[in-house]
Amino acid sequence: MSAVANYLPRNTWIHRLNPLTKMLWSIILMTLSFLYRDPIILAVLFLSIALVAYMAGILKEMLPAFKGLLIFAGIFLLFQIFFITEGKVLFYVIPGTKILPITDEGIFGSLAMGARLMVIAASFPVLLGTTQVKDLVIMLVEKIKIPYTYAFMFITSLRFVPTFMQEMEQIVQAQCSRGHRLENRNLIRKFFSLCPLAIPLMITSVKKAEQLAISMETRGFGLGSRTYLHQIQFRAIDWGISLGMLGMVALSVYLNLQGIFQ
Amino acid sequence: MSQTVNPAILVENLSFSYPNSERKALHEVGFEIQSGEFIGVTGPAGAGKSTLILCLNGIIPHFQSGTFQGKVLINGRDTFETPCAEISRLVGSVFQDPEAQIVAPSVEDEIAFGLENFGFEPADIEQRIQEALSLIGISHLRYRSTTELSGGQKQRVAIAAAVALRPQILVLDEPTSELDPIGTREVFDVLRKLNTDYHLTIVVVEQKLNVMLEYINRLLILNQGKTVCDLPPRRILEEPELLTGIGLKVPPVSELAYRLRKSGKYRPELPLTVEEAYCGIVQSLKNMRNNHD
Ligand SMILES: Nc1ncnc2c1ncn2[C@@H]1O[C@H](COP(=O)(O)OP(=O)(O)OP(=O)(O)O)[C@@H](O)[C@H]1O
Ligand SMILES: [Mg+2]
Repeated sequence: MSAVANYLPRNTWIHRLNPLTKMLWSIILMTLSFLYRDPIILAVLFLSIALVAYMAGILKEMLPAFKGLLIFAGIFLLFQIFFITEGKVLFYVIPGTKILPITDEGIFGSLAMGARLMVIAASFPVLLGTTQVKDLVIMLVEKIKIPYTYAFMFITSLRFVPTFMQEMEQIVQAQCSRGHRLENRNLIRKFFSLCPLAIPLMITSVKKAEQLAISMETRGFGLGSRTYLHQIQFRAIDWGISLGMLGMVALSVYLNLQGIFQ
Repeated sequence: MSQTVNPAILVENLSFSYPNSERKALHEVGFEIQSGEFIGVTGPAGAGKSTLILCLNGIIPHFQSGTFQGKVLINGRDTFETPCAEISRLVGSVFQDPEAQIVAPSVEDEIAFGLENFGFEPADIEQRIQEALSLIGISHLRYRSTTELSGGQKQRVAIAAAVALRPQILVLDEPTSELDPIGTREVFDVLRKLNTDYHLTIVVVEQKLNVMLEYINRLLILNQGKTVCDLPPRRILEEPELLTGIGLKVPPVSELAYRLRKSGKYRPELPLTVEEAYCGIVQSLKNMRNNHD
């Protein structure tokens, strides 16, 4: 499975925080990143995420994800920069002509977009690295009252990713051993040569899903009032941090409306 | 009111066919299982063994569609009229595919899943998890992720998850398909313990007759959806054609003794285990020597 969404067990206070607190953190970062368009402020927000990752002892594991994001944001920025034509023209991409003007607004705006993208996306691997998905889901069911069935579907789909990877591998090997060629092809032909494999994979997936449903049925799934082995508490520190973060957001919105920070 | 005790399982004239298939997967099957019995089910591929198991835990007719005829009574209650969840309080199930029946990301959560669904208190859940894990002998797996387990380990986890619910009846569909001979015996030893110490009624589908015959009270043989026979293991050994006729193998020790007896060299009861065969052969040799003298 992709290392990006993996839980990284450490014994830090951030790991011990309630999943809802950490989710609130993610949402607040998202809100703030939409509030601001100053690349410097956005960069500070990004650094704050890195700081949290560092305090949780998972910064090293996060670096590949951050790097990937940086590249992605870079590409995004390159595309974006040509589409904003407002503002003062600084130069043209092809000198001497008037093709593809680069404006100050363009640079500023696309930098903001890129940075915003990074802030939004960077908080998720940190959230998932410090929180077990199952704890997150339990909290969503218990406190936010999301129906358990939907939450369960989400957990199960995560659990089945490695199973399907294995299944796919097996089907590919089975088909290759019968002379189905996958290597030495360009991307498009490779895509088409993978298509015949999709049908067996779909059939086995449906069968597995059915078997899983049967297994759940025989263990009382959907009986109604459910309990949980691990109760997760919302402790004083969670209240403190959550209220603190909300206060900060309120202040930022206020300052933003006053035009002090943009 | 009659005072007679209901049998744990009563199957009467049971027929079932899956949708889009003319052939009946089960054809007028009938048998009775008393509380505390240990029953084996065998038969060639496609005989209807898995289908029968699904009829015992109520998945058929509640979950799997198809044509259902006849009756299945669990502790006297008709499965047709009892919701699946109710049946699941009485009947614990372990299925053939160890991969697809595991629902939770960790072993601990997997065992807890059913208990949580039934609404047990966390303290009870905790205690039952420990109990089930140690009973099956997998306490060391408790905090492992279920995706990284071997097939055999998954099968044991599935058994533990079913046992943790403390059902009165346990039905298992080839629970040892991914286990080596030693592992298979370990699982059957656990089943025997559950059967004798906890008075659990057990129905197990199994292909490995040489192991299973030692453990069970009766063997139900299915072929093409029909009951071939329903007899104690020793009676089946007396008529090996019941097995060989439908392409099943007689356990080697039993076959050896059976052939020796045919040629008049083996008198005692046909053996189920190597130990019994050894004693029987030693005794026969002694008798032969005495006859010569
Ligand atoms: N979901 C299904 N839909 C249609 N037909 C089915 C389905 N499941 C099983 N069958 C058919 O019903 C018959 C009995 O199948 P069943 O799975 O009960 O056999 P089995 O004895 O368990 O075989 P095995 O030893 O391979 O597990 C077979 O002919 C099979 O093809
Ligand atoms: Mg089967």
